[in-house]
Amino acid sequence: MIRTEEIFFRIGTFQLQRLSIEIATDQYFVLLGPPGSGKTIFLECLCGLKKVNSGRIYIDGREVTALEPRARDIGYVPQDYALFPHLSVEQNIAFGLRVHGHQHKETKAKVTETADLLGIQHLLSRGIDGLSGGERQRVAVARALVLQPKVLLLDEPVSALDEVTRQDVCVQLLRIQRHLNLATIHVSHNLEEAFSVADRAAILHQGILQQIGSLDELLRRPNSEFVARFMRCENIFCAEVVGQGAQGSNTKVKVGDIQLQVSGQHSGKLTFMIRPEDVLVCPGSQYDEKGGNAFVAKLVRSRDCGGYVKVELDGPLNLVAHITAGRFAELQGEHHPDVIAVLGPENIHVLPR
Amino acid sequence: MKVVSNIPVRGWRDRVFAAATFFFVCVFIIFVLTLIITDVFYIDKEAVITVLTSKFIRHALWMSTWTTFVTTFIALLFAVPMGYALSRFRFPGRIVADAIVDLPIVFPPLVAGLTLLVFFSQTALGKWIQEDLGIEFVFQPKGIVLCQFVAAASFAIRSAKTAFDDVSQRYENVALTLGCTQWGSFRRVSLPLARNGIIAGGILTWARAFGLFGPLMIFVGSFRGRTEVLSTTIFLEQSVGNLEVALAIALLLIFVALIAVTGIRLVSGSAQVKL
Repeated sequence: MIRTEEIFFRIGTFQLQRLSIEIATDQYFVLLGPPGSGKTIFLECLCGLKKVNSGRIYIDGREVTALEPRARDIGYVPQDYALFPHLSVEQNIAFGLRVHGHQHKETKAKVTETADLLGIQHLLSRGIDGLSGGERQRVAVARALVLQPKVLLLDEPVSALDEVTRQDVCVQLLRIQRHLNLATIHVSHNLEEAFSVADRAAILHQGILQQIGSLDELLRRPNSEFVARFMRCENIFCAEVVGQGAQGSNTKVKVGDIQLQVSGQHSGKLTFMIRPEDVLVCPGSQYDEKGGNAFVAKLVRSRDCGGYVKVELDGPLNLVAHITAGRFAELQGEHHPDVIAVLGPENIHVLPR
Repeated sequence: MKVVSNIPVRGWRDRVFAAATFFFVCVFIIFVLTLIITDVFYIDKEAVITVLTSKFIRHALWMSTWTTFVTTFIALLFAVPMGYALSRFRFPGRIVADAIVDLPIVFPPLVAGLTLLVFFSQTALGKWIQEDLGIEFVFQPKGIVLCQFVAAASFAIRSAKTAFDDVSQRYENVALTLGCTQWGSFRRVSLPLARNGIIAGGILTWARAFGLFGPLMIFVGSFRGRTEVLSTTIFLEQSVGNLEVALAIALLLIFVALIAVTGIRLVSGSAQVKL
């Protein structure tokens, strides 16, 4: 388990501001954020490669804030892997064991065991030059794991890999984390990566922890416009409460020329969001004027994104929706100029002020 | 035979460019070889016999060899920690310190001899070292090493700093998380990775020390069988009119330098072609 209490670190004009985080022993935690948000600096503070100005760091209940990096029981894989180019794969993996004075036989056994775990035994005799990106990544992870650390810190471990290798490596990282039951912090700016491994995640922006929780919470209940946009929600609008909804638990809001029902009780001005995949798009012929949060819109642009089709709707609200290829074909076959956008009140999330 | 597979497809412009660069390589090498060959044709058999049999020249060769290797060793002893400190640590006055390291490269070598002579003969500290401590440098073999060190050590320090600059700090950071102390990460990671640059600095230092002449004449003189080195022997021989012998010694100096530089490169592995 790793826990930080109000970590503060300043370098130049950049500050990591009072970061408190707790990651359980069996948890795979993903720290998300745009480039320059302070993710790498945060990891370096945890490693002891940067000395925090204030705050505390605990690993398995032991305070390590003032300890040197070597005394923290942390396995660290930097962004470019930093494999030692003057050593072979085997020597790279054995590096930490040799530093700790392990016997040759014991070192060999541990290196073999770790290489087996990562499926890189065939690489042991090779040099670093000529290894592929995926192989380098696995060697770097093996080098970090061979010392059996209490926490594994991965700084953008798959960002340099191609799409297919990235997915394979993410699956492997999660398998290893589960196998070793190891608190893991994985830094990334890629949402797909986070979805493939994360038990929990946090979003960091300009050195400030914006939100921490499950990916579903970050996705559907963001606490700020920044988090919503980072989680790729483009449907964010400002509105004003105009009264009580049809059901007592709803609120009626005015946005542009239309009125919508949103779940919950609200007052004054507010900002709300709706995820693109929660926008229901129906053929124009199915329009029912009595519908609640439904309005007519024009489909102005579409893009096939592989698993779904992204459509842009022009109407009282300019919306982005993700629909299935089947639904898109249905809309195309209608020869009707308009479509109907339906927003379920329960899917409309009002952002905290 | 190794198959070279990383050569890109070249058009005629690339070939012209390669030929132009190669042209300058050829011109320089031909020029230097022409000078050496001129020397070879100028000297006669007697001059060669004199060089090979003279005990004073043998002594000068021995003096040149041991003093330059000791100088290079001491220069590297300073260069490695200094290069690392200047590369890695930020401290007040670092930029000034960095500039001072380059000073001996910039000023004429003669100045090194003059300055050392003034320091040891005119200052209280210099006199104390020579007279009270009994460590004599002026007109002594020890002075050859000191003089070579002052004139040549900067090359080793500068090369070592550049070599450490080229080693990413990330390697050291990872080594720290794997259990190394700062000394351990230096010894196990930075030093091996900076090795070729440090050796190159050593070669430059040795070469500068081996050919040093002016400051040695001022600081230690050129006493036969005592403080004479090959470079000063050449001056002595030509000043008494033995031009053939002077050139024969010069060829000996070139031969020793060629063997030493090539040998060090081969031993260090830096002459390997990386494909």
